[in-house]
Amino acid sequence: MVHWLLAGLIVFSWWSVHNHHTDWHIWSGIAILTLLIFRLLWGFFGSSTARWTGFIRGPRGVVDYLRGRWYGIGHTPLGALSVVAMFLALAVQVGLGLIAEDEDGLFFGPLSILVSTDTSDWARDLHETWFETAILGLVGLHLAAIIFYRVRGKSLTRPMITGDAALDSRAQPMRPGKWWVALICLAVALGIARWVVAGAPGLPR
Amino acid sequence: MRIRFMAAVAVVSLSAAGVAFAALPKDKALAIMHVRHEGMEKIGDTNKLIHRELASSSPFAPAVKSGAATIAALAKQSSGWFPAGTGPEMGKTGAKAEIWQNQKDFAARLAVFQRAAVAFNTAAASGDMTATKARYADLIGTCNSCHDKYRMDMHH
Repeated sequence: MVHWLLAGLIVFSWWSVHNHHTDWHIWSGIAILTLLIFRLLWGFFGSSTARWTGFIRGPRGVVDYLRGRWYGIGHTPLGALSVVAMFLALAVQVGLGLIAEDEDGLFFGPLSILVSTDTSDWARDLHETWFETAILGLVGLHLAAIIFYRVRGKSLTRPMITGDAALDSRAQPMRPGKWWVALICLAVALGIARWVVAGAPGLPR
Repeated sequence: MRIRFMAAVAVVSLSAAGVAFAALPKDKALAIMHVRHEGMEKIGDTNKLIHRELASSSPFAPAVKSGAATIAALAKQSSGWFPAGTGPEMGKTGAKAEIWQNQKDFAARLAVFQRAAVAFNTAAASGDMTATKARYADLIGTCNSCHDKYRMDMHH
């Protein structure tokens, strides 16, 4: 669900900024920030397949997977790399947006007041470049991977939606997260996002 | 007959184009576009500074005052920034061709902007920070009302 919200918000952010809805664009970025914080926390306290420690493997894990010696569920070791890359790329993108300002001095990221106008202008340019390179690049890689596996007879998207996948008998079943933990993670994420929207009061200016 | 009529139409429209061209030679049009660009950029840069002051818990009043005066002066000059023949057909600009297709609407919006700039300048000069913030919000609204319709992205 976090995934599809993110995908939708990324498309919406792109559309709104190119159609004179910079105010909506900023709120969309705040929503993405909230989702990223939630996902970060859920990666520590959530279901077994969502945990960072559950799916991030070192280089050896990736090599094992590529040689066909991986029998787990959830993200594969290679897919995990893609998840982490996308998460970091979006975090950078949101961070740049928060301190950016538009060319005309009419729209400001909530944290732009913490930096100089030169830094803000620089952040805006990089925000645009970063989208065109890193974000679009990862989205492209992402779609290419779906097609690649589909051609090899494995649907990556169906288990995402239904939660059902053919499991190897050697795989550990998923341990679901607790709903109240999800609620706390969401509350914390919303709280931090609200504080950011308010211009991060309490930080030195 | 028909051919003669079409030839007449062609001659009339060519000469009309010629007149428009003669009214504003290219070098003059480009010069005005340059002044317009510099002026708009200066207003934008001033906005960025004023926004930071007004968002601060203790705005630096002299900076707001001088910024407001700068914008008011440039707003006044902006009446001369959009003569016909200075649109995207002439060169690189953020001004959409729609400006000259809806001249009345554009002029009305420009006038609202100019009045808002004067009101903001008056409020800033008075030192009343609450009024200054309110008039500044009004002013930004007038910028957006025009930019949403008549400004295009311009990469430079």
